Amino acid sequence: MRAEFINPFVTAGIAVLESIMASRPDSGQLAVRSATFTTQQVSIVIGVTGAVEGQAVYGMSLVTATKIAAAMSSIPAMTFDELASSAVAELGNMISGHAATLLSQAGVETMITPPALIRGANVEISTATPALVVPLYTDFGKIEINVALKEAPAKLTQAAAPIVSGSAA
Amino acid sequence: MPTVLIVDDALFMRTTLKKVLTDAGFSVVGEAENGEVAVTRFQELRPDVVMMDITMPVMDGLSALKEIKKMVPDAVVIMCTALGQESSVMDALKSGAKDYIIKPFKPEKIAEAVRKASSKD
Repeated sequence: MRAEFINPFVTAGIAVLESIMASRPDSGQLAVRSATFTTQQVSIVIGVTGAVEGQAVYGMSLVTATKIAAAMSSIPAMTFDELASSAVAELGNMISGHAATLLSQAGVETMITPPALIRGANVEISTATPALVVPLYTDFGKIEINVALKEAPAKLTQAAAPIVSGSAA
Repeated sequence: MPTVLIVDDALFMRTTLKKVLTDAGFSVVGEAENGEVAVTRFQELRPDVVMMDITMPVMDGLSALKEIKKMVPDAVVIMCTALGQESSVMDALKSGAKDYIIKPFKPEKIAEAVRKASSKD
């Protein structure tokens, strides 16, 4: 995977989170993760199709996810219910949508799929290519941005859904 | 009071939009979680304005916009989506969308867009 593919996701993550939290997250060190990795307590998976294809996976602890959902919903004492799950999934959608816009501005046209939320640590996710990972440190805790994208062969632009296995905690 | 149909696959977004629009004095007459349901609800309810997401399962918002405009050419549809690339914006506007709002949004922007779109002037 080309390293520049993750930059729009990090830029988008910082911008979207800053608009929700009113404070700017700090980005951490870039790392490479194998094509099979285990999830954090809450993961949002979004497929990317088009000139590049693959997945973006946003991972965080349940505490962080609940705090983000509370901020997005303006509900201070929130439990991680259906509304909170939907809010966190929408966060992944907004970051990915913003990243798709930035990719488009760089001449890489993509579309994104609706988000899927996985709850449970140690669930195994397999992506088509090794992922690049950048952590974002926010006031609500760490959010990991995993991006596994490869250039699509011509006329083959349908992203494969990630293979998810293991038992949810 | 203008009536609004909200179309978004995310419960959170439907809930947020409903609150923003209700607080601004609009009447939310229905909700739909994908484009296919949106077309059916539009036929049943004939709202003044449709707030339409793009990335949804079953049928996306651009396809639903085209279906609705085929049925009622002067239907008022505002796209409300995380996708901001020029190709999506142009496709929506060429297909007859009245406005295009990119998430995350400020609540006042939603109310203003619906007010403007539903104005007969």
